[in-house]
Amino acid sequence: MSTSDAALIQKIVQRDESALAALYDRYASLLSSVLNRILRDTQASEEILQDVFFQLWRNATQFDPGRGSLPGWLVVIARNRAISRLRRHNPSEGEELLETSVIVPANLESAVAQQQLLGRVKGALENLSADQRAAIELAYFEGLTHSEIASRTGDPLGTVKTRIRTAVESLKRTLSP
Amino acid sequence: MNGHPTRPEDFDLYALGVLEGEEKAAFEAHVPTCAACAEKLAEARGRIALLAFAAPRVEPSPSVKERLMRQIHSAPEGARVAQRATREPDRTGGFFGRWWPAAVLVPVGALLILVSVRLWQENVHLTDELGEERAELQRQQAQLDEARHIVALMEAKDTMTVALAPQPGMPKGDVRVMYNAKMGMAMCDGWVDPAPANKSYQLWLVPMDGKPISAGLIEASSGPINPWTVKLPPGVAAKAFAITLEPEGGMPQPTGPMVLVGPVS
Repeated sequence: MSTSDAALIQKIVQRDESALAALYDRYASLLSSVLNRILRDTQASEEILQDVFFQLWRNATQFDPGRGSLPGWLVVIARNRAISRLRRHNPSEGEELLETSVIVPANLESAVAQQQLLGRVKGALENLSADQRAAIELAYFEGLTHSEIASRTGDPLGTVKTRIRTAVESLKRTLSP
Repeated sequence: MNGHPTRPEDFDLYALGVLEGEEKAAFEAHVPTCAACAEKLAEARGRIALLAFAAPRVEPSPSVKERLMRQIHSAPEGARVAQRATREPDRTGGFFGRWWPAAVLVPVGALLILVSVRLWQENVHLTDELGEERAELQRQQAQLDEARHIVALMEAKDTMTVALAPQPGMPKGDVRVMYNAKMGMAMCDGWVDPAPANKSYQLWLVPMDGKPISAGLIEASSGPINPWTVKLPPGVAAKAFAITLEPEGGMPQPTGPMVLVGPVS
């Protein structure tokens, strides 16, 4: 049985480099995928990937596995940094403060679990209409707000808001445990 | 929106990053003050984070992991200077026809120089690697020694734990000191705000009698303290532990303001 994320974090706190390597092996592929999708720049993606894991190494004492999921936290931080770089702005202090806790409705510690979840997420997105899916992808992978999506697609703001709200409700139903 | 978000999807919309303007500001003003909403936001973040799985799979280059592992060793960047091959020898038209012995000897000589340079580079590289291996061995030995000290300190029945509290108007922090007078050993752990430029945090044992004894500088450039043990004169009865802000590199006796202090109960 593989070592849990919480146990590996504890080992990192004790400066066990092999624990960091194990967590990297477990989640680097997921992070690399989302970073490359956002930035479409291999070098920039790899810089952020390395930086996120280095931050984990330096700040492992601040991560409390009891307050959330490590892969969720890694994904949120990586996405946030990638979008900040894409949009050339720094996240506001408020955003950073609110991102300290992430609860993922699934265990992602094994490759099998990740593969199963991949199927669920793809299925959830396929349940959306093409317009809904496009709007969700513009928000998630390009970091656009309601009005920016409306401006990009040429649709009325109200239509975009309804479209995204409906899509989010659908995703919530499908992805909740 | 001064109270809770009115619709349950608002948490997912915020996590997705589409809220803006007043909606976003109201959300950010309320959620940090409400544990129930913070919990809902954490769950929404987790759901939205799953969208990462929709990205096409891209495996990172193996070099990223190599760089990461080197980085955590704090290896100085650019320690190795890339050696480039030497310039090509000059060649001019007609040279071979008139000076065939030189035409043979000069390229052979150039080749020998290139081979010599290559061998020298290999030698430098291997010497560097050997030095790195030795440094790594010493580092691991030091870590092992440190771990033994920590275990001995933690296992000793007469080890006390002192919590240091921040002082008004000073940088924030949460630091604990484990101290064993008989062993003459202390360990410091926790976090403290980064020190101002050109300043260092210094830990002091304040004895029942006599002047404070330096227990070393605190490495906390980014907040968390790297736990470390420090040897102190054995048998000193401590009245308190304190952290002061001193000129960079520390002082023999405290001169700066007390940032955190914890009395020994």
